[in-house]
Amino acid sequence: MTSEETQRPYSEAPGGAAAVSGDYQADLGFAWPSMDTGTEPLIEAGPRAEIVEEVGLAMTGSLNLRRCVLQLLTGVQPEIADWAMVVLTNPRTGGLTLLGGEDPSAATKVSRRSVAGQALERILASGRTELLQVTLDDDGADGLATMVPSRTLRDQAAKLRPVDVLGLGLTARGATLGALVMVRGQGRGFTEADVALAEKLAARASLALDSARLYEQRSRVAAALQASLVPGALPVVPGADLAARYRPAIEQLDIGGDFYDVFAAGDEWLAVLGDVCGKGVDAAVLTGRARQSIRTAAHFERQPGALLSAFNTVFASDASDRFITLVCLRLRPADDGRSMDVEIAVAGHSGPVLVRADGRVEQLEIGGTVAGVIPDVDYPTRTVRLEHGDALLLFTDGVEEARGDDGFYGLDRLLRLLSEYAGAGSDAICAAVEQDVVEHLDGRSHDDIALLAISCGGVSGWQS
Amino acid sequence: MAELTARRLDESLAAFELALAGVNSTAAVEVVEGLLADGVEPVDVLTGVIAAAQRNVGARWQRGDWSVAEEHAATGVAAAATEAVARRARLTPITRGKVLVACAEREWHALPAMIIDCVLRADGWDTTMLGASTPPLRLGQYLQDLGPDALAVSCSMLGALPTTRRFIEASTTAGIPIVVGGAAFGTDDVRARALGATAWAQDAASAVEAARNLPTVVQVVPPLPDEAVAEQAALELSHRELAARVLADWRADPDLEIAEDAVTQTLHAVWAALLTGDPRPIPQTAEWISALLAARGADPELIADLGLQLRIHLRDYPLAHSLLTTSWPTSAPL
Repeated sequence: MTSEETQRPYSEAPGGAAAVSGDYQADLGFAWPSMDTGTEPLIEAGPRAEIVEEVGLAMTGSLNLRRCVLQLLTGVQPEIADWAMVVLTNPRTGGLTLLGGEDPSAATKVSRRSVAGQALERILASGRTELLQVTLDDDGADGLATMVPSRTLRDQAAKLRPVDVLGLGLTARGATLGALVMVRGQGRGFTEADVALAEKLAARASLALDSARLYEQRSRVAAALQASLVPGALPVVPGADLAARYRPAIEQLDIGGDFYDVFAAGDEWLAVLGDVCGKGVDAAVLTGRARQSIRTAAHFERQPGALLSAFNTVFASDASDRFITLVCLRLRPADDGRSMDVEIAVAGHSGPVLVRADGRVEQLEIGGTVAGVIPDVDYPTRTVRLEHGDALLLFTDGVEEARGDDGFYGLDRLLRLLSEYAGAGSDAICAAVEQDVVEHLDGRSHDDIALLAISCGGVSGWQS
Repeated sequence: MAELTARRLDESLAAFELALAGVNSTAAVEVVEGLLADGVEPVDVLTGVIAAAQRNVGARWQRGDWSVAEEHAATGVAAAATEAVARRARLTPITRGKVLVACAEREWHALPAMIIDCVLRADGWDTTMLGASTPPLRLGQYLQDLGPDALAVSCSMLGALPTTRRFIEASTTAGIPIVVGGAAFGTDDVRARALGATAWAQDAASAVEAARNLPTVVQVVPPLPDEAVAEQAALELSHRELAARVLADWRADPDLEIAEDAVTQTLHAVWAALLTGDPRPIPQTAEWISALLAARGADPELIADLGLQLRIHLRDYPLAHSLLTTSWPTSAPL
């Protein structure tokens, strides 16, 4: 701290400090993005009381911490502050993140140590307000150091030839999560009324920021868990053209009780599509286990019927009383890519629909009980040969049972649609079925919907 | 150099269209990868080949040359080619913020959004693409979880404009600027501005430009005119019933396969005009239907009759009725 600056509690702020120079905006030296609201506040008249409500409302519109900070920074400028910065503390490391200044979307990180003994440290520790006056003959930069622990940000604020620097604790639900630092340029000191208003605003902003922080912590946990349950990107299978779609019943989730998986087992390819009873997060957790069990079993057994038997034994002995329906395929494309043998086994699931390139369409009838109920079950395996342009569509019951104005979507409608898409390629097939089913629903709620199409065709190589 | 690129693109376009017609993803991917390998910019490949070919695909359906399934098959191939360009674009270092790219709900044309996603990624944005017909709940979740610097929404169908408006409300409530584009907005920014979008992009290149110039934070959009919103909502609620009644009374041949589409599109044009205050979607849709009818050898007078049936069945919707009275062509265009 330099001797040119004085520090005082805000209550000692001199009256009449709000003398405003008419051209202060020219001193800003940067343009804040215009919002084109048509209601530009009269800054000369001082901040309006309504700003607390306006900024608070805008901030509660966002549950994302960074967006919430941006709302606050945009809201206080230029009506309350000529320059502003938000400091957030990381409760785990104690480190500080600084957001604000000329490029508010850029974040600067500094250590807690770097603010030792500074005004900012006191504000973060006590949550109390500090008003700092920088004398006019000072270039400002050094005087700002006690509140702004970043050279770049300090230099920006110094351009205003600041008179007052106001630091406010952001305290919500009993903890100080950071600070709001606002700077006013030459001729625009903070009045007592300004400081009182700023404190009100800080209190309101803190609640919004704290909610966003809590949401973000939860959301991070959820995202990490969800990432392991989201169907992975489809691999490139030589000689096959693959596509998939997934519409969970709970629309805001990316996961549900349906799943699909395509993976290499040795030099062969296995494809699985399944449906765990139930929907939402509980069901999704079970699909994660099922997928893993199948991948593990595939190390030892790749013939689809035998693979399903092994999986069933493991799944049935599990403490879970839930069951699962599955289709399991082994893909064996011919070396020339003109045909592909597909072995299929089914556990209590709708058989895949075979779409021949010439327009013939049939659902393959393959028996097999649901998995997870009886310990020892044999599953028959059926083999079909796909010629170039033929496709198999695997789907879950969210398709047939999609309920619209005129009843269930049903298998007949699906087969009729698919006959038009003979030879159209996997992506077009999935896109058409998805659209037709969702339009049939016409906004009604639905079960999880999963589609996996496998066509015999040249390597399209885009499913990475 | 630019001229060389232009000639190269023209040649490639022909080869690419052949690949679309033959539903040959391998050939289509080869065409775009060849261009990229020769140093053609991703954005030029996307607009000069993929988007250009896709316009012709739409025209082929419109002329009755291709079925919907054939159009979808070609689009699937174009999507594969776009994905190949996207693979290249993903090698670009991320130098800007996050952008969320979505299709409005009921918007099933994912390709334009894929193209926008790709050009933005190539411009250094960290993009997340949500696929066709995004449910509003899913969009809201991603807006909060991702906290993007911008939302880009593609909307080519007039019937998807109401959910585009809801996306604009969701985005601006969170302070996030939103850039919109697609055929449903027409050739100027009137509808985009009316709905409260932060920016409108005419094509992929202007989407890149718009994204670079968006404000950091925007204010929540003010409500749309109450009466118009109420009437559009009422029309949307009884859409199936209204469409069925108009279709039953329209003099069109029951075998005319585009009849249902024509009625639906017209009602959607009315929605669009109500929400945006821009009546142009109505005569433009009439023109579009005229072209469909002409390509299929149907009676051009059917246009006037469709207008009449709509006015009869929409008599309880005063704003819609008056829009149709003033904007629907009274006689078939020559």
